[in-house]
Amino acid sequence: METPTALQNVLYMPRTFATTESNKTGAWRFLRPRYEEKTSPCGAACPAGEDIARIEMLITQGAFKEAWETILMENPLPGVCGRVCYHPCEGRCNRREFDAAVAIHSLERFLADAAARNETKPALPRQPAAGRRIAIIGAGPAGLSAAWFLNILGYETDIFEAMPAAGGMTRWGIPAYRLPEAALSAEIARIEAQGVRIHTGETVTAARFEEMRKSYDALFLGCGHWRGLSLDIPGATGVGVEEGLSFLRDIRGGVRRDIPGVSAVIGGGNTAIDVARTIIRRGGRAIIVYRRRREDMPAFAEETRSAQEEGVELRELLAPVRIDAAAGGCVLTLQPMTVVGQDQDGRGKIVPAAAAPVRIAAQRVFTAAGAGTAAPWHEPPASGASGAVLALSHCVLLQDDRGAPVVYGGDLAARDKNVTQAIASGKQAALALDVLFRHGVGSVRERLASCVVGHGPALSLEIYLGGPRRERNAHIVTYEEINADYFQYEPRLVQPRLLIEERHSSFDEIELKISAHTAMREAGRCFHCGICNNCDNCYLFCPDVAILRARDMTDRHIDYDYCKGCGLCVVECPRNAMTLEEETP
Amino acid sequence: MKKVLEGSQAVAEAVRLAKVQVISAYPITPQTHIVEILSDYVATGRMNAKYLRVESEHSCMAALIGAQSAGVRTFTATCSQGLALMHELLHWAAGARLPIVMGEVNRALAPGWNIWCDQTDSLAQRDTGWMQLYCEDSQEVLDATILAYRLAERVNLPTMVVLDAFYLSHTYEPVDVPEQEEVDRFLPPYKPAFTLDPGHPYSLSPLVTPNAYMEMRHDIALAMEDALAIFDEVEGEFARIMGRRYGAVEEIDTDDADVIFVTSGAVTSTVRLVLEELRSRGEKVGALKIKLFRPFPTEAVRRALSKGRKAVVVDRNYSFGASGIFAQEVRAALCNAPGHPPVFGYIAGLGGRDITTQMLSHIYFEVKESEAPLRESVWVGRQEVNRAT
Repeated sequence: METPTALQNVLYMPRTFATTESNKTGAWRFLRPRYEEKTSPCGAACPAGEDIARIEMLITQGAFKEAWETILMENPLPGVCGRVCYHPCEGRCNRREFDAAVAIHSLERFLADAAARNETKPALPRQPAAGRRIAIIGAGPAGLSAAWFLNILGYETDIFEAMPAAGGMTRWGIPAYRLPEAALSAEIARIEAQGVRIHTGETVTAARFEEMRKSYDALFLGCGHWRGLSLDIPGATGVGVEEGLSFLRDIRGGVRRDIPGVSAVIGGGNTAIDVARTIIRRGGRAIIVYRRRREDMPAFAEETRSAQEEGVELRELLAPVRIDAAAGGCVLTLQPMTVVGQDQDGRGKIVPAAAAPVRIAAQRVFTAAGAGTAAPWHEPPASGASGAVLALSHCVLLQDDRGAPVVYGGDLAARDKNVTQAIASGKQAALALDVLFRHGVGSVRERLASCVVGHGPALSLEIYLGGPRRERNAHIVTYEEINADYFQYEPRLVQPRLLIEERHSSFDEIELKISAHTAMREAGRCFHCGICNNCDNCYLFCPDVAILRARDMTDRHIDYDYCKGCGLCVVECPRNAMTLEEETP
Repeated sequence: MKKVLEGSQAVAEAVRLAKVQVISAYPITPQTHIVEILSDYVATGRMNAKYLRVESEHSCMAALIGAQSAGVRTFTATCSQGLALMHELLHWAAGARLPIVMGEVNRALAPGWNIWCDQTDSLAQRDTGWMQLYCEDSQEVLDATILAYRLAERVNLPTMVVLDAFYLSHTYEPVDVPEQEEVDRFLPPYKPAFTLDPGHPYSLSPLVTPNAYMEMRHDIALAMEDALAIFDEVEGEFARIMGRRYGAVEEIDTDDADVIFVTSGAVTSTVRLVLEELRSRGEKVGALKIKLFRPFPTEAVRRALSKGRKAVVVDRNYSFGASGIFAQEVRAALCNAPGHPPVFGYIAGLGGRDITTQMLSHIYFEVKESEAPLRESVWVGRQEVNRAT
């Protein structure tokens, strides 16, 4: 039995029932935090300006449709780009400095495949009908992209395609093991379902082009570089020498052809690699000969690596001199080269080495030494030509008195010729034409500059249309600005691939599918640089309970009556979605 | 049940038996074993408690102040720099009348960086309003920790249970661990004198003006006075259940002693050995172990030391510019007692240096030969060192 002491009865404890809210600690503040989303390095590096940080965030939430639609706002071909884009986004991923870049391209492909499998229909905002018709020549990625964005902007679009099916180089130049036909066709079908009309098998001649300049309100010329350039050496047009691009086109077109024995492939671009890997799949051996060094090859490094895995032989610093017919094929004569200093473009400058020529006996020689326009009128006009010529980063806009304005795009105008740059070109053309119709050609540069992602040159349709992304600061988040304490090391997704043996005999896609679970886990590695993912750290760390939000985590804002500017929220934000500034009187 | 336990384990066992509900700590040598064991108990469900990890001892005490204000039993352990970092909130815990219990492992303060035994860390907190219990062995550590809850909750003041670094914290000894049922009988569930209630919100410890502050302080003074009496009462109940009793002070062979050692902590055991040896040679020597340092048992100290002709305080601590801290307190307790014995002050064993039986014998004979102390403090066992030039 305890003896109660007098003490406990008189315990003298001050307390107050008045609310502490009377103490407006905000008056102490000289630094002011605020929510301010910034630009992720991946999104700024994407030629199509995809909102990658947000896409990955939506994937972590299992919102696959919304993530896919977020891509479609900036890029109509995620199923293509998820497979064949050189993914500069991953090269700039801040996570590289932590462990390894997020496998952004695999997730993009996952979203496109999931949408295609489920036949998902995107719900995208379409602007009111503009009452104008645009003709697009060429159903390659540039033309499809231009049509897609013009369609969203309210224009009627007709694509004229000379080949029997749409897709351009993605269909006829990229082998099926990298881009299966079904994946491409699903994307084209969706573009058509949005209202884009595609007229295949319709070649547009120079005369018809001039006619269209009278009957349409604008034209987009995106017919690409379809003519493989031949080598300027003796024997380059002789027996046993084939042009690589048309070879790829034949194979994609269904020509069943075995290529036994040894074939030499001349060139260092993606076409050379694709030709060599196709030869492997047709029962032959392929030797790529390139006049510069391996590191100077314009082909994507991953493609070169895969080719070598499959048995393609790569011989560098050998310049072709002549091709001679010989019994059972031809003999390729090559001059060994050596590197002396640097070229203007930073690659090693090559000069003939003091060495005897090398001879390679091959059954066939394939040339893959670049491509050019099929007809001279495809070339964009130089500035100074008659009429107003506006040269943009990915397009050339011509306005003269011969008819409707023309935009030259895709490979015709792009410095870097690949699918994603072509998509960027199509988007730039669509936005430029919209500005031109609404505000006149004089406003095009300025208006386009106001909708770049980060510091450009990629453009964003969402920003152009005044969506939430417009509010983001152009500052590109650096790794130092990420609070890495909130992340754990986790290995990058390893995409399952066909065995080498399986690849030798088939054009089946090499990279296999990943599950939704795997995709969500990989997206979970993303820092979501610069964007708020409702992690609630600001709310949890605020010592003044000055972060207010609704129960469903929306409408998060700062109560400046009580925020005393300690900056904890900004420091604890793992992804730099907040900014701390000096209070201005 | 008898078990062979480290002093750190003895603390942890006591905390488990006391059914503490919230533990918060920041690891620091030599306290680490205590909180390692407790975090394991919480993680494995042997304790139904919340373990709050914190980034500093300051936050640790702040967290416990919050938890205890919400009406639950709490515990922390720390030492040395960690205790010093808590200083501001030690005052707060006492002023807010929260019966928080702490395991305090006596460790030297830096520099020089030293993890070994020294009492200056806890004694430097003597004015914070915390009660302090200094323990001699691991059994006493366990018993004192359980008792501390009962005492603290009776008078609404926080309590430190103090044990020597390594000599106790890391040394294995047989310890009788009571049954849960026995502890439950001794220590009822915590009934807070006041709690925060989200249903009826108010805030504690707001601004207090000069017209009330002094009364609050006086209240704490009264509670400390009460604690002296309640300590004996609570110990009595403890003894009835567990069969062990220590006293606020313990007199050892003081009745006929000429010279009485005054000690605290583990060195008391060494003094007991010395006493056996000296007594066998006919020396009239005794000892007074001070267990309860806050509140200071002034009357008991006076009573015990008045039996001898000389008192000699062995301090494993030092207050610079003054003297050993126990010596100060003993002198203060005696000075108003007419005819009190002279107090000899010795400083020994700082920073974990051993206090040996030889050292203590030497002190005894030096005091026996001296009529009165020549100095307030005599430092013993110093060695030649290379000094910075």
